[in-house]
Amino acid sequence: MIRASLARYSPWQFRDFVMDRGIAIAIIGMLWGYLLVEPMRRTMGPAFGGGPPSPTWPIVITVASSVVTLSVLIAVNGIVSTDRKMGYYRFLFSKPVSAVAYYAQLFIVYMLGVLITMLLLSGVLHMVVPSFRIFYFLLYAAIIYIAMGGIGFFVSVVTRFDWLTLASVWVGSRVLRNAYGSTPGWKSKAVEILPPVHKIDDLALTLITNGTALTKDVAWLVGYGALFFALGLLILRRGSLAD
Amino acid sequence: MIEFRNVGKIYRSLLGNSVKAVEEFSLHVVEGEILGIAGPNGAGKTTLIAMMLGYLRPTTGRVEISGLPARTYVERNGIGYLSELIAINPKWRAETALVRYAVLAGIPDAVIPTRVNEVIERLGLEEHRDKRVKALSKGNLQRLGLAQALLRDDQILVLDEPTHGLDPVWTQRFRDIVEELRRPDRTILIASHNLDELQRLADRVAIIDHGRLQRVVSTGYEQTAHAVTRFRLTLASGHDRIHESFPHAEHAGKGEYDVTVRSIQELNTALADLIGRGALVASVVPERSVLEQQFREAVGESQ
Repeated sequence: MIRASLARYSPWQFRDFVMDRGIAIAIIGMLWGYLLVEPMRRTMGPAFGGGPPSPTWPIVITVASSVVTLSVLIAVNGIVSTDRKMGYYRFLFSKPVSAVAYYAQLFIVYMLGVLITMLLLSGVLHMVVPSFRIFYFLLYAAIIYIAMGGIGFFVSVVTRFDWLTLASVWVGSRVLRNAYGSTPGWKSKAVEILPPVHKIDDLALTLITNGTALTKDVAWLVGYGALFFALGLLILRRGSLAD
Repeated sequence: MIEFRNVGKIYRSLLGNSVKAVEEFSLHVVEGEILGIAGPNGAGKTTLIAMMLGYLRPTTGRVEISGLPARTYVERNGIGYLSELIAINPKWRAETALVRYAVLAGIPDAVIPTRVNEVIERLGLEEHRDKRVKALSKGNLQRLGLAQALLRDDQILVLDEPTHGLDPVWTQRFRDIVEELRRPDRTILIASHNLDELQRLADRVAIIDHGRLQRVVSTGYEQTAHAVTRFRLTLASGHDRIHESFPHAEHAGKGEYDVTVRSIQELNTALADLIGRGALVASVVPERSVLEQQFREAVGESQ
C-alpha cells in the first residue's frame, strides 16, 4: 500500500526535478560547454573535434566532467533539508508514507533526471565532437551521482547548509589529499578516509574516452557514496523528521 | 487509542544549552473523543503534537497509537493533520497540491478527482483551485490546509490552531465541519488558544503549561452545579425588580447586572423569581466559561 502510493508519486517528484533543477542544469551545462568549447572550435576550425589524440580532447573531458559534478551538486542540494527548513514534511508525512522510502525514491528519481539531462547535453556535445561517446559519459555520470550524491544526501539529512557543506567536503578532500596524500606518517593514512575525489580525474579520462576504468576506483567511489546514502537513510529512520 | 506515557522532550543546542519543552506528560485519549489541548504560548502544545505524529522522538517516555509507536502508526494508517504553520510549496497550485497529497495518501487514481472536488467544495475553495499557493490569502491557505487533512477518511484528526486566520463565517463553518466529523470510531485532537472554541467543540480539554499537564477539564456544565459562579444578566425591562431577586446584584451599565450565585439551582430559583415579578430577561452569560475559569486557575498555579 505504502510502496504503491509512493511509486504513483514518482512522476510528481520527476516533475519537481525538471522544474526546480533540470532546466537550470541544462542551461548551466549548455552555457558552460558553449563558453569553453566554442572559442576553441572557432579558432581551430575543422581540426577541432578529433578524438583522444587531439590536444583539445582533455579539455573536452574536463568540461564534461565538471558539468557532471556541478549537476550532481545542484540535484542533491536540499534534497532532504529543504522539506525540513520549509516545514513541507508536516503534510507529506502525516500521510501513510515512510520518510525513508520517500527520500530513497526521490534520490533515484533525481538520478534519472540527472542522467536524462546529461543525455541531452552530451547529445549536443556529440554533434560538435562526434568521437564523444554518450554511453560512456552517462556511465561516468551515474558513478559520480552515486559517489557525490550519496555524500550530498547524507549531508542534507544532517545539516541545513548542505550545498556549502558538500562543496567544502569535496574541495577540502581534494586539497587535503594533494597536501598530505603522499607524505609519510599518520596524515597520509588519515586522508585515506576522505571522499576519494582524487580518483575522479583519472576515471573521467579513461571511462569517457574508451569505456575502461579501474574496478578498484569505481568500487571505492560507488561504495563510498552508497555507504553515506545508507547512513543518511538510517539517520532518517532513527532520528527526528522535525528540526 | 492514543497513549502518552510519561513523555518528555528536551531540546539541546550545540552549545550545550537545553530547554525542557515537555515534562512527564501522561494522558490517555479514547476512541470517539474530541480532546482539546490548551495552553499559553510556548506551553509545549506543538511539541506534543509533533511527538504524536512521530516527527520528533521523545527524550523520555513514549507515545503509542492503537498499541503502535506513533511513527509506525502514521506510516501505516496516516493521520489527518492541520499544522499551525501551513507549509505547502508556494509554487504548487491549490488543486494540484491536493492531488499530490491524495496520491501520497493512497487514494486510488480513479477516486482522486471526486475526492479533491469534494474537499474543495466543502472548504469553499472553488474559485481558488487554480491559484498558486503563494497567491492565497491567510484564510484561504488555512482552508487549503484543512482540505488536505480531510482528504482521507482518517481515524485520527489533529488540528493545531485550526481557526487561525479564518473570518467569523469560516470559523463557524469550521465548527460545523468538526461536528460533522465526530464519529464513534474517530478521535479528534484540537490545539487552540481559543478557549471558547474548545469549550464548544471538545469533550475534554487538557491544559498544559511549562510542558506539564496541569489538569484535564470536562467541558460539560455538570461540575458547575455547585460552584460559586458569577453571571452577567441583561434585562429588557423590570430593572427596578433586580434587587428583590438578586439582593447583591451590581449594576454593570446599559441594563446589565453582575450576580454571584453559589449554584446553578440558586441562579434558576432567583431568575424564576425575577421573571415572576414581571422582569424580562434578555440574556444570562457566565462571566467566565468553565474552561476559562479552570484555565486561569491551572496556569496561575503553574506560574
